[in-house]
Amino acid sequence: MKLHVVFTLAGAEYALPFDSVLQMESYTGATLVPGAPAYVDGIVTVRGMVLPVLDLRTRFGLPRAELSLDTRIVVTESAARVVALRVDSAREVLKLDVEKHQPAPSIVSERSSGLVNAVHPLGKRLLLLIDLPKLLGENSHDLQPRALPADDGSSKRPQLPS
Amino acid sequence: MTGTADLKEFIAAYLVEAEEHLAVANTQLLAIESAQKDGQANPRAVRETFRSLHTIKGLSAMVGVEPVVAIAHRMENFLRDSDRSGGTLAQSAIDALLRGVRAIEQRVAALARGDSAAAPSEELLAALDSLGLAATPPAPTPAAVLDLEPAMLTKLAPFEVEQLLRGIAAGQRALRVEFSPSPERAAQGLTINSVRERAAKVADIVRVLPRAVPVSADSPGGLSFVLLLLSRSSDEQVVDALGLAEANLRSIARELPEAPPESELVPTSEAELDGAEDGKLDTQSRRGVVRVDVSRLDDAMEGLSSLIVTRFRLARAIASLTERGVNTRELSEIMTDNARQLRDLRAAIVRVRMVPVSELLERIPLLVRGLRRATNRSVRLELEGGSAELDKAVSERLFPVIVHLVRNAVDHAIETPDERLRRGKPEEGLLRITCGARTNTRLELTVSDDGRGIDRAAVAKKAGRASPSDDAGLLDLLCIPGLSTRDIVTTTSGRGMGMEIVKRTIVDELGGELEVHSEFGQGTTFTLRVPLTISIVDAFSFECGEQRFVVPVTMVDEIVEVDPNALVKVPANDDGSPTVDILSRRGVAVPMVQLSQVFRLNTSPRAASKAIVVRRAGLPVAFAVDRMLGQQEVVIRPLNDVLVRAPGVSGATDLGDGRPTLVLDLVALSASLSSAKLANGRSW
Repeated sequence: MKLHVVFTLAGAEYALPFDSVLQMESYTGATLVPGAPAYVDGIVTVRGMVLPVLDLRTRFGLPRAELSLDTRIVVTESAARVVALRVDSAREVLKLDVEKHQPAPSIVSERSSGLVNAVHPLGKRLLLLIDLPKLLGENSHDLQPRALPADDGSSKRPQLPS
Repeated sequence: MTGTADLKEFIAAYLVEAEEHLAVANTQLLAIESAQKDGQANPRAVRETFRSLHTIKGLSAMVGVEPVVAIAHRMENFLRDSDRSGGTLAQSAIDALLRGVRAIEQRVAALARGDSAAAPSEELLAALDSLGLAATPPAPTPAAVLDLEPAMLTKLAPFEVEQLLRGIAAGQRALRVEFSPSPERAAQGLTINSVRERAAKVADIVRVLPRAVPVSADSPGGLSFVLLLLSRSSDEQVVDALGLAEANLRSIARELPEAPPESELVPTSEAELDGAEDGKLDTQSRRGVVRVDVSRLDDAMEGLSSLIVTRFRLARAIASLTERGVNTRELSEIMTDNARQLRDLRAAIVRVRMVPVSELLERIPLLVRGLRRATNRSVRLELEGGSAELDKAVSERLFPVIVHLVRNAVDHAIETPDERLRRGKPEEGLLRITCGARTNTRLELTVSDDGRGIDRAAVAKKAGRASPSDDAGLLDLLCIPGLSTRDIVTTTSGRGMGMEIVKRTIVDELGGELEVHSEFGQGTTFTLRVPLTISIVDAFSFECGEQRFVVPVTMVDEIVEVDPNALVKVPANDDGSPTVDILSRRGVAVPMVQLSQVFRLNTSPRAASKAIVVRRAGLPVAFAVDRMLGQQEVVIRPLNDVLVRAPGVSGATDLGDGRPTLVLDLVALSASLSSAKLANGRSW
């Protein structure tokens, strides 16, 4: 049995392993980052960390949603990368028997570009399990790699992109 | 090079060194004092103090600061005698020595200001002189004599012998443990270092002596270590803890007291004071250390930045060669190496800016001592620092915050001894400061006391708000700007004072976290988490398309008013690239783009009124913005995640509204624009 965080997105329920979730916070919008991919809402400060907010709806090709009181960000960590995921609501933490995970039906896996890698039936509900390393790992190829990492700001002079 | 310039240089170095040794002397004297309170001697601290004063005297004589020589000489003499007689100091002696250190500090400070050092008062010199007379050596009659080989006994310093004798007299057991390193033992995790560490858990290590032994199966290296320990644990407990066989341990306390002739104890010589094995470790960590002005590091960073710019130009040149069909494979490989080297170099420079946390904490005991005296509180200080390092800039901002919290705790939170007794608490209050790296990037620091705790209701009443239900709510109350502090100080043990500034420093400036946990009547703990490195730059903040941004001042050539009538419109493209206007600036045509357009922001109804001019490769480019907001120091935090790495965005900062604000690199942005333009076969 493993703890999972359950959240909703366009009427469907998704789950992430609890140990990959740092925290859940309410969300009132992010600072826009010009030039970032369309599924990136921008950046927010969570407990002193500046994090990118990935809008899961847009990432999954679902229609965008207005902000509501239920809107949450789920702060996740995978391979030392910390990214906040914007979801419709997140209210539940459940113990799930990992043995009962089932491979995602091909239609689900295709529609989500493989980002949903398993499903978990729970009574009448069906939880979709997200492949977090893939979700976060994939993005590293979306943008052109830089010759040097982004400046940590120690330098007063500009650093030019290569 | 003139003689005076030479001397000036020398004085600067002198001041730095003297300050360092004064800090050591202060720290060690306080260590002696606290050991004294527990009825123990701290011979090592006495020696360290002696060494510092000895060095200060020598340095001062070299640069001819006679007043300091006079003070240091007297202190040094007294400390040498104390060291020989076992390292016990009377409280009056400690007070006098601290006065002496302060007197030297004042004179060093005067020199640093360019004044001359005042002659020491006769009274101070007399007080220091009389120390030597008053200090009658305790002349211990050894209750036991050490059962050690004479060769080994001669290797022990007098204070170590003294420590063993005292330990035995105090009912501790003096033990000799032998350890021979071998590959098999190392494979089991038994090395001299691990044995030392384990020993320290069950015993006081008096001395570790290496010695040559005949090569045997047991000691294949022909080397073994003898650990001399003082412990209250049984033999079995000690050998168990060490992971060694019982045969390796024996007691060295003889039953029959038989005073050794004085000559068998090696007389302390100065050479030995400088060379004793264990004490050397402390000074060694300070040796080979260079103190550098932070601005020089900034210069190095600046130089690195130009290298990066050059690299960028190189990359472009190679790209254009490649376009012309030249084989640039080898060049590209070199560029890859070059990128890695630049990255390493930058990391190295960043590392240089790191200072150990201990440097931050070693000033606390003196502060607490002063407060203790000023407030008549009885306070025990527990410091728990780690080996973490943090950016000098963080350390400098953090220190006033710690001072503030410590002062509040001693001044207001910890009750008077009488009151504490009435409340059933120990007479002595406890102030505990812990400090350690929590992750690779953050440092956690706690300041806690066992004092009154904060009366939530009283603070709430004072602030005219509802009583908070939890600690977070309490912190919000405490940090209300301008919360009248005086009343609270007297009625509720006052945490209001200046908490706003603490919060601003920790949260807004350093991008850290601040938490409080307070139990009314039981005590209060403040927890601070700050990043290990930050970088602070002076920046302009401005507004554009209903969003705020900042740009580092160093990047800006000038800020100009935009007169819409004086703009020359360049025919717009229909390819979606931003429109370009020409701004005439002192006869030079400066291309201007609307930043809101470049960033595809919601354009505001008003026309842009200001433009920020930057130079790229010597040519000016203007970015029109809605309005300038001001200039301020900001902490730049990197945007490391690939999701938010975008051209022209170099990081994020917090302007105090709790939301990140983007830090722009307009030079890079203009570069990306012009390359887009070039790709379209156009130019500015």
